[in-house]
Amino acid sequence: MEPEPDQPKVAAGGGHRKHLAMLERLSKRSSSSAGAPPSDSSDASPVEAFLSRFAGAKLAAESALSACRSDDATASLAAAAAAIDNIDRLIAEASHALPPYELRAALATAADLRAAHRVAASELRPKKSFSFRNKSRNLKNPPQDHVTASPPQQPPPEQPKPSLDAILPGFGFRGKNGATFVKDLRVSNDKDGDFTLADLVSCEVYLKGKCRALYIHKLRDCRVFVGAVLGSVLIEDVQGCIFVMAAHQIRIHEARVTDFYLRVRSRPIIEDCSGVRFAPYVLNYEGIEEDLKDSGLQEETGNWANVDDFKWLKAMQSPNWCLVPEEERLQTVNISEFHEQEDDS
Amino acid sequence: MGLLSIIRKIKRKEKEMRILMVGLDNSGKTTIVLKINGEDTSVISPTLGFNIKTIKYHKYSLNIWDVGGQKTIRSYWRNYFEQTDGLVWVVDSSDIRRLDDCRAELHNLLKEERLAGASLLVFANKQDIQGALKPAEIAKVLNLEVMNSSRHWKIVGCSAYTGEGLLEGFDWLVQDVASRIYVLD
Repeated sequence: MEPEPDQPKVAAGGGHRKHLAMLERLSKRSSSSAGAPPSDSSDASPVEAFLSRFAGAKLAAESALSACRSDDATASLAAAAAAIDNIDRLIAEASHALPPYELRAALATAADLRAAHRVAASELRPKKSFSFRNKSRNLKNPPQDHVTASPPQQPPPEQPKPSLDAILPGFGFRGKNGATFVKDLRVSNDKDGDFTLADLVSCEVYLKGKCRALYIHKLRDCRVFVGAVLGSVLIEDVQGCIFVMAAHQIRIHEARVTDFYLRVRSRPIIEDCSGVRFAPYVLNYEGIEEDLKDSGLQEETGNWANVDDFKWLKAMQSPNWCLVPEEERLQTVNISEFHEQEDDS
Repeated sequence: MGLLSIIRKIKRKEKEMRILMVGLDNSGKTTIVLKINGEDTSVISPTLGFNIKTIKYHKYSLNIWDVGGQKTIRSYWRNYFEQTDGLVWVVDSSDIRRLDDCRAELHNLLKEERLAGASLLVFANKQDIQGALKPAEIAKVLNLEVMNSSRHWKIVGCSAYTGEGLLEGFDWLVQDVASRIYVLD
């Protein structure tokens, strides 16, 4: 009875369990009518051995867990985890020999201990992970400082934009609603320039002559007629428009419900587009043949129909584009009578 | 670049360099490669995947990987990073609206560890177009000076249309890569 004061709970629990185990064994023995004595003896001793070992392991785990609250918590926590693992192992080894109740009780005890261990670990780890989090915050903070510091750096790059827009008023039409623009690039001095159409709504644009590059951004319900582009056309974010243009390269991004009448030396590409249709070039004005020839665009290559869709890499036809049915196509558009007007702007 | 790969390169009879060309779509990457190789540049379709060109350049053999720049395929750039000796970033100097995109994509690329050792040549292309930003302005907008301590870089104005500046750029890149890789010559 001496160990009892040291481990009253365990002993009491063990006593209960022993008692109950005995009852179980008795009931089992009575239920198995022809139960052989040797099997009984072999049955009894493993259970008792298990119960004593289980009690020891449980005590070890409990003492380790309670030690977690005091000094050297990490080591105790590890010891507790090892002890609980030991309990699990004991249960696993003895499981085939244990009566159902005993097994259930042991498993419940192990689960309780695991839960207690988890609580103890979570009480401990916050300190750990807290310091770690602090560290990661410290690590994150400098970049955040960089980020907050970089906006002052970022505006300078953006500053050139307005000034450039101011420098190049003749190089494009921007931010208009319901206007008609006519531009004859042959009479202006910027023959080797690029041209920009941006932020236009319900506008008509007629560009005669040649330019080196054309940038088109954010157009809604516009009609755009362009002579020859001796370089590339980059179109982004247009909707409900009609474009008639000749160029070496044409890239179309984010266009919806828009028709393109193209002459193009290479294959036009679309990306993130839907409901776009293609047809051959139909523009005419006095002197267009010369402009096209000078730009190497006199030939009809038929590439207007060879559209590559970056969002559709299957062999079958992309659902994002089609040809304009012949009966719906625009007739040749002659803009010879359109002349530049100063009151456009 | 590990010591082993350096040794391997030194031992190699054919002095090879791997050059990766990237940049936003419409910047003129393919045109630059074809121009420098003396090929016809009048019919070039937007690049759907990538092109590889092997070019003899002085005593070196350049393996130039020209990778398409459309938004959809930019995520595949990283498949080409391995073993890159020289990086060429091409900018459309007249596409002022997208320079912010351009800077973001470039700095995203430069974070890549596999490109940490590569020399960087920035081509401010389309200088022949009136209104194009000058190389110094492009350098400022792209915030290139942040790499001063971490990487060999240079910006060169060029025109793939006329061919101006292309040799100057490649001369620098090849010299810089060679001085790093073929240091024992």
